[in-house]
Amino acid sequence: MREKLKEIIGRYDVEYIEDYRSWVKAKLKNKEDLLPLIKELKKAGVKSCSTVSPTDFIDENRIEVNYFLENLNPTKSSKEEEKVNVWLKVDLDRDLQNCEIDSITPIMPSANYHELEAYSTFGVKFRGHPNLRYFLISRDYYGKFPFRKDFDFKEHEKNLIENINAITDEFLEEFEEHEKTIGHEGSRTVLHWGPTHPASGPIRLKVFTNGEIIEKVEPDIGYVWRALENLVERKDFIGAIVAVERICFMDNPNPMICYSEAVEEIAGKEITPFAKYMRVILGETGRIASHLISMGSFFGTMGLQTFLMWCLDVREYFLDVLEDYSGARIATSCIEPGGVRYPLPDPEAWFNEIDKAIKKWEKVKPDIEDIFLKNPLMTKRAKNTGVFTLEDVEEYFLAGPVARASGAKIDVRIDEPYAGYADLEMDYVTCENGDARDRLYIIVKEVDQSIGLIKQAIEKIREGIEKGEMNPSKDHLIKMPKKLPAGESVRRIEWARGEILMHLVTQDKATSPYRLKIKTPSVNHTMMLENLLPGHTLSDIPLLYGSMHICQGDLDR
Amino acid sequence: MIFEIGEKIIRVMKAFTEPRIAIKDIVKEPAHKSPIFRGRHEIHYEFCIGCDACNKICPVDAIKMKPLPLKKPRMVPEVNLAVCIFCGLCEDVCPTKPKAIKLSGGDIEIIAPDGTHKTLEDFWVRVDIPEEWIEQKKREEEEKARKKREMMEKKKREAELKKQEAKGEEK
Ligand code: SF4
Ligand code: SF4
Repeated sequence: MREKLKEIIGRYDVEYIEDYRSWVKAKLKNKEDLLPLIKELKKAGVKSCSTVSPTDFIDENRIEVNYFLENLNPTKSSKEEEKVNVWLKVDLDRDLQNCEIDSITPIMPSANYHELEAYSTFGVKFRGHPNLRYFLISRDYYGKFPFRKDFDFKEHEKNLIENINAITDEFLEEFEEHEKTIGHEGSRTVLHWGPTHPASGPIRLKVFTNGEIIEKVEPDIGYVWRALENLVERKDFIGAIVAVERICFMDNPNPMICYSEAVEEIAGKEITPFAKYMRVILGETGRIASHLISMGSFFGTMGLQTFLMWCLDVREYFLDVLEDYSGARIATSCIEPGGVRYPLPDPEAWFNEIDKAIKKWEKVKPDIEDIFLKNPLMTKRAKNTGVFTLEDVEEYFLAGPVARASGAKIDVRIDEPYAGYADLEMDYVTCENGDARDRLYIIVKEVDQSIGLIKQAIEKIREGIEKGEMNPSKDHLIKMPKKLPAGESVRRIEWARGEILMHLVTQDKATSPYRLKIKTPSVNHTMMLENLLPGHTLSDIPLLYGSMHICQGDLDR
Repeated sequence: MIFEIGEKIIRVMKAFTEPRIAIKDIVKEPAHKSPIFRGRHEIHYEFCIGCDACNKICPVDAIKMKPLPLKKPRMVPEVNLAVCIFCGLCEDVCPTKPKAIKLSGGDIEIIAPDGTHKTLEDFWVRVDIPEEWIEQKKREEEEKARKKREMMEKKKREAELKKQEAKGEEK
């Protein structure tokens, strides 16, 4: 596969082609080559675009656009066949007039929102995009491209009142436009689902309906846009973890693992085995904590809050685990470049706490299965509703549990192992049908898988301590250099709700990141709503929306 | 069928034997206490060396340095808990031993006893340094400076003496 991809890319005019972990990395000389190349790559099996990430090199007067194209190959396990991805780079002119490139959305629909994001924040115009518009940012940022290096947030915030007025004006104009185009006759209307709907979270779905049937859905996002990618550029490498962990409160430790590994790679450091297994335990605890909310809010969005309360009760026990280790429950900041942040003076006491949490889960699980998972009303509504096929998974890059519910064999922990996963036994957990109900079932299955992984990691740590290879009160952190060399790295991790990809760029003698692109799964899952909901009835929105496990925190960043 | 119903009834009955969850007044006592809970800061001015490291690393600028009329510490940190995100980075970076700024093992007494705070001032962790301490430090510093000066003068004199001796020998 690798050779084949290299051969295809080699036919074009490239500056270099090289191997980089699971990627084939290449830089194109001409931006005109991009479309034909991507067409060929798609034929060869690299069908999904993970993200489009521009980097603004203001001193060299260029913007470098990175395309991360992934070969998901959902029918095959990566143990049978290596999954090789492609990382393409193209240079563009920095000035706004010429900062233009062909859109790959018509070929790979999964690039859609990512291109809109790149356009809104960097001003890279995508020629041929089906609907190029400002996205994610609010109107006061339109045309200002806030992630460019010469944008001044402080200056921008001086005009606070004008900015807020601009945002309200936009809503009013939209309202008037709908008045004009849709009018009061007939059964057509636009329904705003969210941002204050009890089930929605801070997102607004503009639902164009005809009677009860949904005709079109346009997600309006950006209500919790904190510009985290830009924020980390103003922090040092350690301080950046507090921005990174705030991607989403549900699964807290995993994004920090991703970021830390990216930093460690540039620094050229290898962390201790103890820290690796600690990362597994913390990461899996975070995953369980997230899944318990996902599970509960699946019913919560349908209007049954009891189950959510049950799940939150169990979740507290897992948060106790995080708190005992790090001192905080939600925003733990427990992982930093160089290992994990705190020593573990009394490992057995902590393992006991984990055991307590696992026991709690195992105790309520039979009741959960009986009362909720076999619930006839839920089955009636969710079975065979909103089915995703494996083609959908590749075409729109559905990730994590949503993809695995359709039977896709995708899991970064296996495909490109990080932290301590390479030494642990695990296999893909999947469901077959890919309907909304399976997207609930898969979550329950994954909680059990995570518990298995935690137990394995605990065993490894115990063994290590016994043999005298690990010292839990010293091995947690290695010394990291204060200044990093110029470089870039790409890391992927399996987050609770799909794959997170981070692209970190540093400059020479760096004390803070030059650019950090964070790709999160909810972007693609929200994009999928546009295709999923039309044809369904209004009462299906909470159900299907809940089944996608979308979190606005990572959607907006 | 009857068996199944019976089983379900028994399962529901089980709920009566469960310990009730809300048996603690969490305002007074946390439901779960971690040994290193990151709570309200403790600032020990007597250890602080005024290096400004905590202020520099704080990701949300919650720390404000209070200037002191001393050379060391030149200033001590004060924390605005209304801004602080309790990340604990300030504690990590503090170079003194024991730590001059510490939040792990702190407590949750951010909730006011009657439920509401009247002023934002309640959220500041201030350092109250007794006048005597400053005076004493000042005196110590002066003492030190004097000693240093004396040392310097002594050295100077010795050096001069040596020079003169050297000259004398030359002659
Ligand atoms: S805990 Fe974090 S946010 Fe709070 S003062 Fe210390 S460094 Fe700043
Ligand atoms: S509290 Fe610690 S880090 Fe802060 S100024 Fe004092 S010695 Fe330095």
